[in-house]
Amino acid sequence: MDFLQNYGFLIVTMIQQGLLGLSLYFPLMAGQLSLASPGFYALGGYIAAIMGTNAAFAPLRESLGSWIFPLEWLVAGVASAALGLIVGVPALRLRGIYLALATIAFVEILRVVALNLSVTGGAVGLFGVPQPFGFVDRWQYVWIFGPLLVLVLLFTARLERSRVGRAFRSLREDELAADAMGVPPTRYKVMAFVIGAVLAGIVGAMSAPFLNTWNARQGTFDASIAYLAYVLIGGSRNMWGPVLGGALLAALPEVLRPLQDWRLIINGLVLVVASLYLPQGLVGLFRRRRAAPLARPATQEVAK
Amino acid sequence: MKRALLVSLSLGLMSAAVAQKVEAPITIGVAVAQTSNVALLGQEQVIGARLAEKFFNATGGINGTPFKLVFQDTGGDEAGTINAFQNLINKDRVVGIVGPTLSQQAFSADPIADRAKVPVLGPSNTAKGIPQIGDFIARVSAPVAVVAPNAVKQALKLDPKIKKVAVLYAQNDAFSVSETGTFQETAKAQGLSVSTVQKFQTTDTDFTTQVTAVLGADVDLVIISGLAADGGNLVKQLRQLGYKGLIIGGNGLNTSNLFPVCGRDCDGILIAQAYSPALAGSVNQLFVKEYRNQYKKDPPQFAAQAYTGVQVMVEALRKIDKKKKLDTWNLADLRVELNKQILAGKYKTPLGDVSFDREGEVNQKDFYVAQIKMKDAKNGTFVFLK
Repeated sequence: MDFLQNYGFLIVTMIQQGLLGLSLYFPLMAGQLSLASPGFYALGGYIAAIMGTNAAFAPLRESLGSWIFPLEWLVAGVASAALGLIVGVPALRLRGIYLALATIAFVEILRVVALNLSVTGGAVGLFGVPQPFGFVDRWQYVWIFGPLLVLVLLFTARLERSRVGRAFRSLREDELAADAMGVPPTRYKVMAFVIGAVLAGIVGAMSAPFLNTWNARQGTFDASIAYLAYVLIGGSRNMWGPVLGGALLAALPEVLRPLQDWRLIINGLVLVVASLYLPQGLVGLFRRRRAAPLARPATQEVAK
Repeated sequence: MKRALLVSLSLGLMSAAVAQKVEAPITIGVAVAQTSNVALLGQEQVIGARLAEKFFNATGGINGTPFKLVFQDTGGDEAGTINAFQNLINKDRVVGIVGPTLSQQAFSADPIADRAKVPVLGPSNTAKGIPQIGDFIARVSAPVAVVAPNAVKQALKLDPKIKKVAVLYAQNDAFSVSETGTFQETAKAQGLSVSTVQKFQTTDTDFTTQVTAVLGADVDLVIISGLAADGGNLVKQLRQLGYKGLIIGGNGLNTSNLFPVCGRDCDGILIAQAYSPALAGSVNQLFVKEYRNQYKKDPPQFAAQAYTGVQVMVEALRKIDKKKKLDTWNLADLRVELNKQILAGKYKTPLGDVSFDREGEVNQKDFYVAQIKMKDAKNGTFVFLK
């Protein structure tokens, strides 16, 4: 039990960051480099924090009891979907680095808006966010983040084998060819973007009580880069990549805590080494071993 | 079903915690931002806390037994602070915690310490609502609303003809936003008209827009709430573009790190402070001497506040130890008793005489206004005004 007290928060953080990595993975499935996740994450968190602390929602909180929390997740998901559509349709006309820039701008706009509104508590943010289901310890959040991760992974596995998933993949490999074969690019790109947005929004709504407080520092450009690193280090071509990358990069600084000042240096070294020597990400380590022996002999025979 | 299981699990945890004896040496936790972009403040707090550890152990520790500080880095974010607190509470088994650096971090991690019944002293959390987080949360840092008005009054003393004021603040810094609110209220209460309010970000370097607006409003007083780098650059650009009137800097500019940024243009800035190295008391003078010996400059407010945090914990522990030896306590009971004793005591600290109200809000007697005097382009001093 001592173990859970010490590392419970960290374990849940690993799941949470893995989920945020996944929210970046969906647009990447359709070949879109979007860094908008922190924006939706912040939005979801604000919705949960406002519904949990604002006086206007007091009657609703009293009548619903703990059911207010699933409602917060739902509202956050719906709001993120709506905002995702509004942002996605124009933004996804851009490609590659330009889309990434536009999504960074989106995150910045949301941040500055949150800083200037009074309902979001300005720069101090909102605090005293109530705890769901009588949770006392941080590790208990495993009961909400854990099932979400399982559901999302199941969903992703199904999605990848479905018609939509194949459409995403065709867009990633060659947008022009996909378009010629009857895959409408805009519709599927926006769909992938919105799925990621909804996931980030729900994770945000679950995170506000988890962190006890919510403020504009939650959705920043730094976070965009961190999530991108999860996907790159973990592997961008497999759904386990972002989960693994997020969990690993969230855990590393904490596991290295005994090293004190050295921990961030080691952390940085791991990032550099991983990106240099694991171009496929961590997941690539497991893959290569199975794939390599098959390919060679076949080509050699053809050559002779 | 799941919930019943959870409740029984957490009950089991609590009973396990109660049985733990206090281990020697007594440890006090310090959780501040030793890394990240907040480290500029956090590092000063580490220095302050270390000086306190050295000084109070040299003067007998806790009635003859030395105590130990355990440092856990919070980084600049909320999650890191929770991790640092969990480590201090469960792994290092500290009796109390001094930290964290930022108010937002306090809102995130303090509820966890409060639920675990571990006393927390905020060394630099100035936002509204910190002591109200819970019974176990107190702070030695006076809230902005108390410190800031002094500077405006001092400016009016220097130049009674001031009528129009421009207010500028860093909108992404929690402290600056609360502070500017206080500044604006004070200005209005003193019968001044706030001609323009301009916002910037702590990461900005070019302030042409804001400076142009200030010059256009033709004001006699400029009030800036920001941090050292942005505030310094703003002052520099104001002066370079021809602003001649008085400037008031907020508490974020209360550091000698400001001098290299605005150089000679820093001259004359008025700054309201919760701490002054010039305060006479022997406790402060000993602290200032120690600090000067090691770092060849005057101690900043953040170091003094962290020093005070550790001092309050140590003096409260000394009192408890006199009633009942510390090594005979259960850890959980000692934490509760320490919290009571902290709030009950009166302390002579580098900040002057300090005590707490029932909620854990600090009662501090002395506040100061200083004016910056530059010797050359890099070195200057804070001259304290009466």
